[in-house]
Amino acid sequence: MATIKIPEQKVILCGEYGVGKSSLFRRFTNDTFVTATDRKSTLGLDHYAKTYRVSDRDLKLQLWDTGGMERVASITSSYYKFAEAAILVFALDNPASFHVLSQHLLDIVTYAENAKIFLCGNKSDLLDDVPQITDAEIEAFCEQCHNLITGTYKTSCKNGQGIDEMFSDIAYQLVQSNRSRLELQSMEQHGFKITPTEETAEDSCLC
Amino acid sequence: MDEEYDAIVLGTGLKECILSGMLSVSGKKVLHVDRNKYYGGESASICPLEELFTKFGAPAPDDSYGRGRDWNVDLIPKFLMANGQLVKLLIHTGVTRYLEFKSVEGSYVYKGGKISKVPVDQKEALASDLMGMFEKRRFRNFLIYVQDFQQDDPKTWKDFDPSTADMQALYDKFGLDKNTQDFTGHALALFRDDEYLKRPAIDTIKRIKLYSDSLARYGKSPYLYPMYGLGELPQGFARLSAIYGGTYMLDKPIDEIVVGEGGKVVGVRSGDEVAKCKQVYCDPTYVPDRVRKKGRVVRCICLMDHPISNTRDALSTQIIIPQKQVGRNSDIYVSLVSYTHQVAAKGWFIAMVSTTVETDNPENEIKPGLELLGPVRQKFISVSDYYEPTDEGLQSQIFISQSYDATTHFETTCLDVLDIFKRGTGEEFDFSKIKHELGDEEQ
Ligand SMILES: Cc1cc2nc3c(=O)[nH]c(=O)nc-3n(C[C@H](O)[C@H](O)[C@H](O)COP(=O)(O)OP(=O)(O)OC[C@H]3O[C@@H](n4cnc5c(N)ncnc54)[C@H](O)[C@@H]3O)c2cc1C
Ligand SMILES: Nc1nc2c(ncn2[C@@H]2O[C@H](COP(=O)(O)OP(=O)(O)O)[C@@H](O)[C@H]2O)c(=O)[nH]1
Ligand SMILES: [Mg+2]
Repeated sequence: MATIKIPEQKVILCGEYGVGKSSLFRRFTNDTFVTATDRKSTLGLDHYAKTYRVSDRDLKLQLWDTGGMERVASITSSYYKFAEAAILVFALDNPASFHVLSQHLLDIVTYAENAKIFLCGNKSDLLDDVPQITDAEIEAFCEQCHNLITGTYKTSCKNGQGIDEMFSDIAYQLVQSNRSRLELQSMEQHGFKITPTEETAEDSCLC
Repeated sequence: MDEEYDAIVLGTGLKECILSGMLSVSGKKVLHVDRNKYYGGESASICPLEELFTKFGAPAPDDSYGRGRDWNVDLIPKFLMANGQLVKLLIHTGVTRYLEFKSVEGSYVYKGGKISKVPVDQKEALASDLMGMFEKRRFRNFLIYVQDFQQDDPKTWKDFDPSTADMQALYDKFGLDKNTQDFTGHALALFRDDEYLKRPAIDTIKRIKLYSDSLARYGKSPYLYPMYGLGELPQGFARLSAIYGGTYMLDKPIDEIVVGEGGKVVGVRSGDEVAKCKQVYCDPTYVPDRVRKKGRVVRCICLMDHPISNTRDALSTQIIIPQKQVGRNSDIYVSLVSYTHQVAAKGWFIAMVSTTVETDNPENEIKPGLELLGPVRQKFISVSDYYEPTDEGLQSQIFISQSYDATTHFETTCLDVLDIFKRGTGEEFDFSKIKHELGDEEQ
């Protein structure tokens, strides 16, 4: 019997250094949280796929973390290639991280033209009574960018709030928008990945 | 920047990015700096198209070129051998997961003013218009000999010792004429000149085998090309370096490589900041006093709105013009990629003609290549010096890569990288150091 390949969608995390992208990635991969800003925390693991079931269809979200490149330099444009969705992350306690979003948005529409864009305000646990960034401001931002934003979420990596809901909704949105496209996609349009042959897998040395 | 690193890598060209990735993976603390705002240096793919025109001082492209950002134009043209060193490096480092490839559709060779498909197996050889009927038989026998050849089984050598006898002797054994020798040596074994004829035949036999093994992997030709252009390659390795802890800094001019006692490097200065380090790895442009000019390469980027004639409208192809066919000492190479690789707007093609400079008029030298292309909408010619290090780095701990040569493949690139890595670390690169839990899907 033929096996049906579950469609896999590349989802990238974008936003300032320190807003919690790697923490979201960590929640996504193994549902844990660390407070240390230890850059080794995600060392060696840079993308991870999980299957979501949306009204009797399976979809794999393949989430990519930046690898911390944005700390001093810019992210490579190849990070954005083939992305079907981008999560634009800011920290709810850090207005600066919100106000530079348009820059990140520009990168996304430049390098990942067809990606659906989602907005995520993280660190909701740090919100006290007076929010640093109001819902009105968030709405205004979405309007400004001509409704390029498909969904907005508030999350906390610390207590886990809103995280599952966000990823499930992203999966749902992607299935909706891809319904027709996934079926039409022909291999001809795409390249292929190179994979080891039996023989190259054996010799682990180039000499 | 004011920290101490095991290694500082200068320049984000392909070689430096591979090295940076290998060093980070090996547990070294790496700072990777580029004076440019973008990744890739000479190995970058230029996007958008307007930037390419600006770079060469040409007036902006008109509307017929489509959207500027649909273009990613390589400055240095190269293909990957499907079974070659770079593909092995990509697989072993896991960088392959960041990239997608397409097979190059065909490989052609120039003979007597026109081009013919390079015959790659016995069947194609028999149908080829490169040879007469009797020559075809002889060539077929030669191919069978090479295919059956096993280095560790002297029975397959057929009374010919390829480790002592030279290649000319092997050609003579099969009675191959000069033309057949020409395309075998240059289009299959991919030699740049005729020195190989005097060297042991085993080298050439291995290269022809590499060609056919590469061909066997994905079909149409032995070559692969990445979607969105070659600039994706250095970026892939940069990402590898970053996820293993490497720190990246762009747009950072380097003013001095600071040398201490015994001529050993101690750091790198930018303005009044100094980053300390034990080693520096860099391309020749960062150390003009430690390299020498070895030669010059001329490259011509050609934007066209049609494929090359007589290639069955291939959307990608390589043409080799063997030196002798045009009275030269080095081959001329033509490579073609197109919109199908996401490097040009719909309907557009990018051809690149390149060779090693032999005269005072480099532009004239590539003419035979340009003549094959047909009408070209826009041409950009550049001549670059080709440098090699005068410093091995053992004392200074400054390890310098060679400039990219005229070759249109990556085999020499990888050999240079592995050699530098070995000089720098004193050991061969250990591929088992790479954790394979990088992604979840493959392992
Ligand atoms: C796709 C392609 C395009 C080419 N285009 C050009 C070009 O544009 N200009 C040009 O001058 N030459 C070109 N060549 C020929 C090629 O440059 C030379 O054969 C190669 O550079 C080796 O040169 P060398 O004499 O420095 O190395 P050598 O000392 O001859 O070889 C060094 C080592 O590299 C290995 N090696 C060499 N070539 C290959 C290969 N193709 N695949 C795997 N291993 C190899 C050999 O086994 C050897 O161990 C091309 C080859 C290929 C594969
Ligand atoms: N209180 C709180 N801290 C968070 C949250 N998410 C991330 N952090 C902390 O913010 C810092 C930066 O997070 P990180 O994921 O490395 O950010 P990145 O640079 O965007 O990848 C770390 O110290 C995290 O522990 C959150 O939801 N709440
Ligand atoms: Mg991070």
